[in-house]
Amino acid sequence: MRIGSLNKILIANRGEIAVRVIRAARDLGIPTVAVYSDVDRMSLHVRYADEAMHIGGPRPAESYLRMDKLIEVARKTGADAIHPGYGFLAENADFAQQVIDEGLVWIGPSPSAIATMGDKHAARTAVIRNKVPLIPGTPAGLPDDELILAAQGIGYPVLIKAVAGGGGKGMRPVAQEADFAAALATARREAESAFGNGDVFVEKLLQGARHIEFQILADTQGNTIHLGERECSIQRRHQKLVEEAPSVFVDAELRQKMGAMAIAAAQSVDYVNAGTIECMVDRERNFYFLEMNTRLQVEHPVTELVTGVDLAKEQIRIARGRRMGPTQNLMEPKGWAMECRINAEDPYTGFLPSTGQISTMILPSGPGVRVDSGVYSGAEITPYYDSLIAKLITWGETRSEAMLRMRRALSEFRIMGLKHNIPFHINLLNSISFIAGQFDTNFVEQRFNMHTYEQDPSADELETAAIAATLYAHRKRQLASQVVAPAKRDASNWKWMGRYERMHR
Amino acid sequence: MKYLTQINEQSYEIEIDSTGAVLVNGEARDVDFLNLGGSLFSVITQNKSLEAVIDDEDGGIAVMMGGRLYAVQVLDERATLLLQRRGGKVESTGEIRAPMPGLIVAVSAERGQDITQGTALVILESMKMQNELLAPISGTVSAVHVQAGQAVEKNTLLVELQPPPSD
Repeated sequence: MRIGSLNKILIANRGEIAVRVIRAARDLGIPTVAVYSDVDRMSLHVRYADEAMHIGGPRPAESYLRMDKLIEVARKTGADAIHPGYGFLAENADFAQQVIDEGLVWIGPSPSAIATMGDKHAARTAVIRNKVPLIPGTPAGLPDDELILAAQGIGYPVLIKAVAGGGGKGMRPVAQEADFAAALATARREAESAFGNGDVFVEKLLQGARHIEFQILADTQGNTIHLGERECSIQRRHQKLVEEAPSVFVDAELRQKMGAMAIAAAQSVDYVNAGTIECMVDRERNFYFLEMNTRLQVEHPVTELVTGVDLAKEQIRIARGRRMGPTQNLMEPKGWAMECRINAEDPYTGFLPSTGQISTMILPSGPGVRVDSGVYSGAEITPYYDSLIAKLITWGETRSEAMLRMRRALSEFRIMGLKHNIPFHINLLNSISFIAGQFDTNFVEQRFNMHTYEQDPSADELETAAIAATLYAHRKRQLASQVVAPAKRDASNWKWMGRYERMHR
Repeated sequence: MKYLTQINEQSYEIEIDSTGAVLVNGEARDVDFLNLGGSLFSVITQNKSLEAVIDDEDGGIAVMMGGRLYAVQVLDERATLLLQRRGGKVESTGEIRAPMPGLIVAVSAERGQDITQGTALVILESMKMQNELLAPISGTVSAVHVQAGQAVEKNTLLVELQPPPSD
């Protein structure tokens, strides 16, 4: 590929991340092609792209996962590069290879890097060569009796994990040896049904651990840097809810050590483009490599706000074979950034997803506020894709300022027509532990509920809510009584016809 | 019109006259209540300016205000009378319906089983997530309409609970 020969980018994704990539391409003056399924005709990414092509049914397997159709769209539209976004085919080495074989530019890492990092066992083998610390654990493929012995050696509590796993499936914590056999059977069964592969391994379960990840950027000209960390410990069932950069837990010394480790991990697979090294950090500041995500992350904006680097734009620049913008590690983040994932989930009913039309969406704005979203008033949240409505990101000179701005932005944000988790975020920002930065990955599930940190409403607030509800009911009742049944035609159609004709003579 | 409004175990007698003036427990309140479109309302009361999202929900009214969700029951005179005859309890429905289309992963409820409020009854997979559907009330499972592996549409009746007999 000639350097700089990039004329049109196909975005093989949907929703907010497709919009994000379209914006980066626009900023670089490169036209874009969107693809959409039956239910995404109204999506923002279709409206914002220069060209858009329909690719199939609402289920991902009928559209966004159809490699053949995506490549056909690239051929038809003359797109010469494909950006996969996150999810769908972003970490599919076969697709990356097909794109390259077709003579197109793949905006992402090499297929071999994706394949190695996508297989937990291969990833461990690769990074260990560069002396990257791993959570003590077993290799994959051991029979049950050897796993039991290994678990003893590691020391309880341990975690059983599926080799092909992700999103918490096929994952089982075991507190003591007596429970091991049963948990192992369940994990194997779950992994078998979810991934068609019952292979599991065992590793040490870290207690009070934080999930901290490092943003990596590497170009084809030999530069590999990190752009600092993101704190992602606020999660529920392994789904991140709030992310921030930097982390209250990481000081300059730890950042330097973990950053060097992250670069070593990326270099173990000759990584190029943007990627993320996910780590677990225990209370004693021991850190362990968890996995590498070989794509742009959902939470990339917090890094963008504290570094001033446009990661999506750098991805395109790197794929063009150019030298990336920043070539120095980020040691001093500029201020603080925080992201709340606004999902169509009802925190009052166990985070049950909600679908339907967004009747009204009023976005917050003002100093230090950014919203990345793929929907708008009138758009529909369907059951076919994830429940992300928007990412609300705030920036401040300090963590407190970022938090106060987040509170303001959350209180301005209005989404109607379906349930969403804004009340969860408002409550979280009232939590003393969260404000003090004292939390680990179990915080939301074990130490937080919607009422823990909620102060009782004042008498005035309660009365106002009562008055508002009563006025609402009263007006509805009045409207209902005003609707009068339409009068029936009391005469035959012949008479009506006669009257009509007389009137129009 | 006189209403009995219940919220967080508190009751208010609220009267709205033909001019729209509001009396709470007999005292006048200065209230400006304006619809901003859809279910969004602006409330100015004693100079305090608040925004509320108000929707009908489960036979009551849900008010979201200042980051808090209030479940409110607004009863007119007839309903108040009926309520007094029932001994002051507002009935809650024992029907568990699918909140969205999806796949039933597991059903833990069994016919005849006694359930306490908040117990997970059904696991429904949708939007890439496994969702626990919880019992809205305590009671006895009177019917189970689905089984694991079944695909369901939105609003499909899944499980029915019979509330314990009130005395």
